[in-house]
Amino acid sequence: MAGSRLEKVGTIFTRATGLMQAKAVTWEDRPVWYDVYAAFPPKEEPRFDRPAPDMKIKQIFYEDDKIRAIFHRNNKQIGTGNLLSSHPSLTQRFIETYKKVSQQYKGEADEKQIYVEAIDVLNRERSNREEAVATEEVSLSLAFKKAQSKQEKTGLSIKDIFKD
Amino acid sequence: MLKIKNILTLTEKCAPTIRLLSSAVPQPSESTTQIETAQIPSDLQQEVLKHPDYFQVHNLFTVKDLFDARIHYGHKEGSLDPKMLPYIYGSRLGHTIFDLDKTAEYLRRALNVAAHIAYRDGVILFLLRGAQNSHLVERYAKECGEFAHTRFWRGGIFTNSEKQFGAVTRLPDLCIFVNTLNTVLTQHTAVRDAAKMGIATIGIVDSNCNPNLLTYLVPGNDDSPVAVEMYCKLFKEAILRGKAKRKEHLEI
Repeated sequence: MAGSRLEKVGTIFTRATGLMQAKAVTWEDRPVWYDVYAAFPPKEEPRFDRPAPDMKIKQIFYEDDKIRAIFHRNNKQIGTGNLLSSHPSLTQRFIETYKKVSQQYKGEADEKQIYVEAIDVLNRERSNREEAVATEEVSLSLAFKKAQSKQEKTGLSIKDIFKD
Repeated sequence: MLKIKNILTLTEKCAPTIRLLSSAVPQPSESTTQIETAQIPSDLQQEVLKHPDYFQVHNLFTVKDLFDARIHYGHKEGSLDPKMLPYIYGSRLGHTIFDLDKTAEYLRRALNVAAHIAYRDGVILFLLRGAQNSHLVERYAKECGEFAHTRFWRGGIFTNSEKQFGAVTRLPDLCIFVNTLNTVLTQHTAVRDAAKMGIATIGIVDSNCNPNLLTYLVPGNDDSPVAVEMYCKLFKEAILRGKAKRKEHLEI
């Protein structure tokens, strides 16, 4: 079957059309995709020499990035993060608290003051959490000790039970 | 006898129906072994083409699904092909990010075309280079009864098929490139060869690819296994819808 292998000339559609116009290929022998292409042409012509558009790439930045930058400028080592975790990361928590603090000041405080306060809030949150864990541990050991002393008072010994 | 079954020996033939070579060259064949191929009436075929989305491929995915499959991630700005600029939303700290609204538009168009080709009983070939996703693509191609070539591309499989396979070979009617790059950052030879042989192509183009020779391009990430699986799933579903409609129309 006749064909044109010059992929750099026109598109596959124009080449197939040309072959049919020149009667090298019959209408019945047109490619399967021909009618589909005619009904749904691609958005851009698939030409080999289609030039690259003259466009500038846009830089993506968010409002939060300013706060993120402040946090990372002052804290170089913030540990590793787990991408699969659904908990907010340390940076996210900082951004949240920073926003809250700056809302409280209503724009009257400067960047440094808000930063110091937000870090304070985060530290307090962490120490609270650690304390809660510590008290839990202490109460558990206390309960164990109490239970032990109670057991001694009854005077029952497991050793004695099996003596006979 | 017709030697039509000699289609791309590297690929696996799973289609239950027998496809005939559409060439007008009269083949000397015994009348007893002539295979009758059912044809959908051409007016019905035209009717199907008039509908903007006959196979309802638009409901196969949402932009959120694309986002979850990490299709918006491009490569770093340094490897950007300037021809991909219109499909890119922007650069986030040096990494290009695709505009998923545009990707969705292009992907729906490509899915529609794939479904139409399947409806017209075209041979569809999935192509991919890279060992990581190779089996995945082959599995999906098998599941929808089509072909896949995900291994080393011997030059001339399309352009010199008669010599390579020793017989008249029916080439695919649609090539779906799940990635268009070779393993060594050059374009897959089949992209050029398909254009040479007049085969329509659908290609997933990442930010470092050249989209020019692909008939229907889909801008998006082509490296993540999640993304590749998403494309395979969508094209499989579209092809199956096309085939189901064909079956339905043939039985009428």
